[in-house]
Amino acid sequence: MVAICCWPVAYGQQVPASAAAVREGASLFRGNCSPCHGLDGAGGGRGPDLTLGRWIHGGADADIFRTITQGVAGTEMPANSFEDSEVWSLVAYLRSISGVSKPRIGGSIKAGQQLFFGKEKCIACHMVGGQGGHLGPDLSRVGAARSAAYLAESVREPSKELSLGYVDPNNHYGIPLEYDTVLITTRDGRKLKGVAKNEDAFSVQLLDENDQMHLLLKKDLAEVRHEERSLMPAYTLDMLSDSEWRDLLAYLSSLRGESF
Amino acid sequence: MRLFTVVVLCTGLLGAQVTNERILNAASEPQNWLTYSGTYQSWRYSTLDQINTGNAAKLALQWVFQSGSLGQFETTPLVVDGILYGTGQDNRAFALDAVTGRAIWRYQRGLPDKIQACCGMVNRGFAALGNRLFMATLDAHVMALDSKTGNVVWDVAAADYHSGYVFSLAPLIVKDKVIVGISGGEYGVSGFVDAYSAETGKRLWRFKTVPGPGEPGHETWAGDSWKTGGAPAWLTGSYDPALNLIYWPTGNPSPSDYGKDRTGDNLYSNSMLALDADTGKLKWHFQFTPHDLHDYDATQVPVLVDADWHGEPRKLLIQANRNGFLYVLDRTNGQFLSGKAFAKVTWAKELSATGRPILEPGSEPTETGTHTCPGALGATNWFSPSYDPQTRLLYVSSSVECDTFTANAQKYHEGHDFIGSVYVPAKGEKTSGAMRALDPFTGEKKWEFPYSSPPWGGALSTAGGLVFGGDSEGNFIAFDARSGKVLWHMQLGAAIYSSPISYSVAGRQYVSIPAGGALFTFALPEGAN
Repeated sequence: MVAICCWPVAYGQQVPASAAAVREGASLFRGNCSPCHGLDGAGGGRGPDLTLGRWIHGGADADIFRTITQGVAGTEMPANSFEDSEVWSLVAYLRSISGVSKPRIGGSIKAGQQLFFGKEKCIACHMVGGQGGHLGPDLSRVGAARSAAYLAESVREPSKELSLGYVDPNNHYGIPLEYDTVLITTRDGRKLKGVAKNEDAFSVQLLDENDQMHLLLKKDLAEVRHEERSLMPAYTLDMLSDSEWRDLLAYLSSLRGESF
Repeated sequence: MRLFTVVVLCTGLLGAQVTNERILNAASEPQNWLTYSGTYQSWRYSTLDQINTGNAAKLALQWVFQSGSLGQFETTPLVVDGILYGTGQDNRAFALDAVTGRAIWRYQRGLPDKIQACCGMVNRGFAALGNRLFMATLDAHVMALDSKTGNVVWDVAAADYHSGYVFSLAPLIVKDKVIVGISGGEYGVSGFVDAYSAETGKRLWRFKTVPGPGEPGHETWAGDSWKTGGAPAWLTGSYDPALNLIYWPTGNPSPSDYGKDRTGDNLYSNSMLALDADTGKLKWHFQFTPHDLHDYDATQVPVLVDADWHGEPRKLLIQANRNGFLYVLDRTNGQFLSGKAFAKVTWAKELSATGRPILEPGSEPTETGTHTCPGALGATNWFSPSYDPQTRLLYVSSSVECDTFTANAQKYHEGHDFIGSVYVPAKGEKTSGAMRALDPFTGEKKWEFPYSSPPWGGALSTAGGLVFGGDSEGNFIAFDARSGKVLWHMQLGAAIYSSPISYSVAGRQYVSIPAGGALFTFALPEGAN
């Protein structure tokens, strides 16, 4: 009762969802949200698809308002300091694009889970709910954080858009490192392959394919080569049938971090 | 005996006033750092040579000063007779014993909420004159502090911060005036360069960087677009006392990446202004990027060099510009002498005989995005280059990044973002950076040292044959100025967002650089020299 009476006070005056509000919201969305959620809101490399009408953090207008202004703890969604009227314009725009597409994955979550832990050995490199390997990104809530289209592409063409790794909080304009394949040749002829957990002009910290960490000084290395491609194999049709692919996507999409 | 003389001299000067004469002749007292770029010529070059190519490997940390805040620590400290004066994040300020790093006083301005600072609550340093220090604040005030106490002497408002007006730069002292330029190109402000009386704080002149109706240049703005035209002036300029001209660079037109509502060249955005120091009147201008669509502010330090140019002595102005070209102008009249790309450039094919860019068709931002180099943060940015008269090279900290620019028509709301675009690093392209040694007389690159990511730290060269630079991974590095060989490096634990300085006290040379929330100072171990 108290909460209901206080919504307008806490969240300002909602603007009617007019065509002008939708236009204003679209402009704000392109300028502020699209780097993560995509220019059309259908999801980018860092944010979920907002066109599905699936609101993980609450689908009421006030919930979406709160998600925009306060962000979502434990996720990449930050708090934003828009004017209230701007937030309502964004809500109006999101409503206008919501439900325009539907997830068309199909597939069996259970069968996908079996593929993930069994035949395809995804768990060897990816962690889910605190279990698994360290080489690839943690997938515990990947279904909440990434669009189905992004996940589908990541399985078939993992090098098309590399996942992001180390983020330096002291580098305010910094770009996160990517999960690309790094090939290293030491001056004494050893060859190493893995992902760079971090790197600068003088050193590199490499996690190799066997889950071993190598802390290396560049003066001891003959070559550090970035392949600009993922270490993950591309699961082409001959490795993963269409129905298996759909099963795997169904499982990945179901991962929302609930176990935490 | 010589060392003893220096000690006595320094002790004798402790607390002495900074006079105009001393700033004019700053190069003759290399133990001090009296103005933002070291001297009015803005070489950021020190004639100190105690630390040199033969012993730089022995450099050791002397002290660390914690500013009390994280964020980008962008100050260039001043050093006057053994005391170091700096500004910090959120308009903090401090005076330190330059030998020990111990604070003599601290000051912090109380700031209002909702300041629109596009790029952090930063400040780039003080100017000094007499027994006063001058700071330009995030809420668009200019103020004088007493250099012995940090007490406020005067405080005047230059503009209304509610509308997006902000100061982030270090002021420049010219004669009896405090020269400042406004920030706010992301908020559709109307740019200006101001001069204030160092004595009273009274404003003596203002040059508006966007001409109003009836003024020359107004015709370069479509309709009412001039009213929100931007063209801020957010970096400290240079000064030629013989010509009595202040050289001040300007930033992007607003909105920075959407030009359909502001057709025309948009003067005096992205330009070099030559202003009469006494009156603020425009003597000449040169616009590097007319009708900019990629946020290529020209707010990089103008470096003044007198040299032979094709056999003829000329007064030159050299600038490595954010748009990717290295320019040489005649600073007496603004004549374009040369401009060569020092980074990957895809927005322009080349520069014409008059220096106007010949555009690459299809490089403007579109609805779906256009891939363009350099990216929005530029081939370089505000951090300082350094000119070394021994090598005759310009050392430029450079970025390697292309962006995808997406156009976005946007309505102006006072005090709100007014950018007109989204730009993101181009997918599938690794970004990086480099310290580059450029020959400004030929445009040729002599050497480069690769950084892992785009840098935000500038350069300092010294008579010891060294160039100091810092990267965004937190490495502070001493290079051999001639070869680029790394002679020493130290990991400081956070990205470097400033440019180094050098000074000496009691015959001992120091090098200082901020990183993270701290100021780090290095010297050779005692007895090492």
